[in-house]
Amino acid sequence: MHVSPLSWIALTCAIVAAVIMVYYLIYRPPLNGRVKALMMLAVGVLPIMTAMIGNLEGLAATEHQAFCGSCHTMDMHIADANDPDSLSLAAIHSRTIKFGDKSCYVCHKDYGMFGYAMTKLGGMGHVYMFLSEFAWYDMEEALPKIHIARPFKNDNCMQCHSTTGRIWNGVADHNGLLEDLRTGTTSCASAGCHGYAHPFSKPDEETPSDVEAHSALEAPSPEGT
Amino acid sequence: MNPRAKVEKFLDNASRSRLMVYACVLGLIGLALMSWSLFDQGWIPVMAAMSVGQGIGTLSFALFLVIVIIDLRKAEFRPSIPSQPMKPIKSEDD
Repeated sequence: MHVSPLSWIALTCAIVAAVIMVYYLIYRPPLNGRVKALMMLAVGVLPIMTAMIGNLEGLAATEHQAFCGSCHTMDMHIADANDPDSLSLAAIHSRTIKFGDKSCYVCHKDYGMFGYAMTKLGGMGHVYMFLSEFAWYDMEEALPKIHIARPFKNDNCMQCHSTTGRIWNGVADHNGLLEDLRTGTTSCASAGCHGYAHPFSKPDEETPSDVEAHSALEAPSPEGT
Repeated sequence: MNPRAKVEKFLDNASRSRLMVYACVLGLIGLALMSWSLFDQGWIPVMAAMSVGQGIGTLSFALFLVIVIIDLRKAEFRPSIPSQPMKPIKSEDD
């Protein structure tokens, strides 16, 4: 567990506020101007500081795998993404420093001006689905029912793989499907291409063969993609 | 009794110290929820801190503001003392 310096500041504010409030509850001093100024600090200024820092830290926490993995239905997704022997797209990407501990968020977030807000709204939808349905399933029951809310956008892949590099365009399939890939008509993460990002969650007939998975692993380095 | 009269009656009769006790208890609960999320960053503590925790904290602060309003209603404001009119300067000839 890593606690940032900001969190310590927030915790200090919370402790000072709590001490003042407990003091009031025990001794009940008359509410004169001086006591009210102190209570303004205890129930106003310091808790607001704690809340503001808590928001910053909370929103930052939602970008980490630990947050996504705190729902039991995501256990296998997280385990696969962190498996050093896995050849899934999720695992391959999670092994790179640009994704790492934030691989769920980097791949699944919406990009663009309102991307952050839309991602958070989508996350609220996940919370609703978990509380209303998936919380009551064990992993075996949940896995066949878990599916992405809407088709995965190639735009997310293209944040890194720009589709303009020489090496990327040197792949015959990329070159032949260039417009379809850019417009999203053909998904990069489909069974015929690089396969599903979390293939263990799909029926066998939908997942790519080992040969295809290995070819994905041996894909050129990001330079020139 | 209309809502405004109800509010005025509440502000006239409410005990400030009791309101302050409620504000402190709610504040402590809110702070506990908000502090929990700083150490455990799973979805339950983070969501609880950013919704229930902050809601309870806001309610606590609102109760404190009610106390301030009660005090302001009971405060006696003295009118400012008007400045003395300037005396006419007598000339030496008089």
